[in-house]
Amino acid sequence: MQNKVFSVKNIAKSFGSEKEHNYIEVIRDISMDIDEKEFIVILGNSGCGKSTFLKILGGIDSATKGSMELYGKNIGRQIPRNALKHFGFVFQSNNLLPWRTAEGNLRFNLNTMKLKGPEWEKRIDEMLDIVGLLDYKKVYPHELSGGMKQRVGIARALVHDPDILILDQPLGALDAITRKMLSYEILNIWKKTQKTIIMVTNNVDEAILLANRIFVFSNKPAVITHEIRVDIPVEQRNHEIANNQRFNELREQINEIVRATL
Amino acid sequence: MNMKKKVTSIVAPVVTFLLIFAIWEFACWFYKIDAWFLPKPSEIFRSMIVDFGEYWPHLLVTLQCVLTGFLIAIPVGLLLATLITSFPLLNAAMSPYITFLVTTPLVSLIPLLMLMMGYGMNMRITTVVIQSFAVINMNACTGFNNVPTLRRELMQSMGASRLQTYRMMILPSAATDIITGLRLAAIFATTTCISVEYNAGNTGLGSQIIKYSQYLQTTKSFACIFYVTVIGLIMYGLITLLQKKIVSWEE
Repeated sequence: MQNKVFSVKNIAKSFGSEKEHNYIEVIRDISMDIDEKEFIVILGNSGCGKSTFLKILGGIDSATKGSMELYGKNIGRQIPRNALKHFGFVFQSNNLLPWRTAEGNLRFNLNTMKLKGPEWEKRIDEMLDIVGLLDYKKVYPHELSGGMKQRVGIARALVHDPDILILDQPLGALDAITRKMLSYEILNIWKKTQKTIIMVTNNVDEAILLANRIFVFSNKPAVITHEIRVDIPVEQRNHEIANNQRFNELREQINEIVRATL
Repeated sequence: MNMKKKVTSIVAPVVTFLLIFAIWEFACWFYKIDAWFLPKPSEIFRSMIVDFGEYWPHLLVTLQCVLTGFLIAIPVGLLLATLITSFPLLNAAMSPYITFLVTTPLVSLIPLLMLMMGYGMNMRITTVVIQSFAVINMNACTGFNNVPTLRRELMQSMGASRLQTYRMMILPSAATDIITGLRLAAIFATTTCISVEYNAGNTGLGSQIIKYSQYLQTTKSFACIFYVTVIGLIMYGLITLLQKKIVSWEE
């Protein structure tokens, strides 16, 4: 029914070698197909290998086994450099460059990817506007709050117009209130930009609010234990979602699963 | 409030300066200390202006030696640090010797260098370079090695090339450490240059300090020392200017 954008086939990742007795299998076997405009959330306990998985998707690391496919084209075990422009990566701790202003941090990505011209300059403003920080474009990161920094981080990942946005526990380093606010904001960003999003979290409520499919990872070595389709319509995903009957059913179901994996 | 703070930060050191020299002046006058032993600061400042023609060529020689040596040491130190931190093998092979270079007082090489290169400017500049590049190199290495992994991952996630990573991320990340190295190197350069001049030739402020001391012209000796301080201040000022320009985001 929809276009397949990206798929992962039997990805595995291990570190060390058995000979030297430091062999660690982090990811055993992960396969998933991701359609256009999907919001995929990966749930798992801390240390289960979900961040390692995202690093492979973000081109930061390579898999030891398996392969990936982008728009039906096999790209092997590591995302090649020229394919990275299709991805935008949001780090857990904003990872902004302190010597650049908010807009400078966005321009940094464009410079690195050699995207120049007025249309890209305009896009910097558009993206800062989407995350509500257009007024702060000349401000340095150390003058921004934690939530604002992370919003700049999201804008930066979007600035080169990627097809797939990868979020590695983007709300993990924030306080509870900011976290909640920003999770709604991510939902809005998804609606506005129509990107395919893959996000990692360990918060069940967040996962149900945002995802259309949730993958639950087992503990190390990671495999997918459950795939849950979240069938709550987008219109009903708002601040009243906690009163939604389906939300509570799913929440109970997933909590049960998470408890069982612990 | 801020204005008041600014005024205080300018006025306070000036007052300290005046106070110290007033006490010195007063002590010389009150205890009738001989000028060959400890001259009055007023006499020293007078000599700095009146006999400027006598000091000027030497001031120029010293300034030239310090600046040239320092300016050569910067690219040498940075280039070496870049190479060392880029190749683990080179890092392993070189890092102990860099530490040797920093810890050995290279002024001890002066007699040998004099033997090999004579008394001229080349020998002086070489000594300054050897003494000051090592500390630039060491601090730059620290800076390059301490670049957060997360920033490297950012560059990888964007598919940045090695050169882009170096120029756009590693260099700015290490800027603070590099400037610390430059600051130390500036001090090393001035110290080394004066030490060389003590030993070699009869030009440069160092040689003049020795000469005037031997003739018991302590006032002129002091005047030269004060001019060395001026050179030190110029170097310090240049680096602070550079720092303000480069790491303006820090504060």
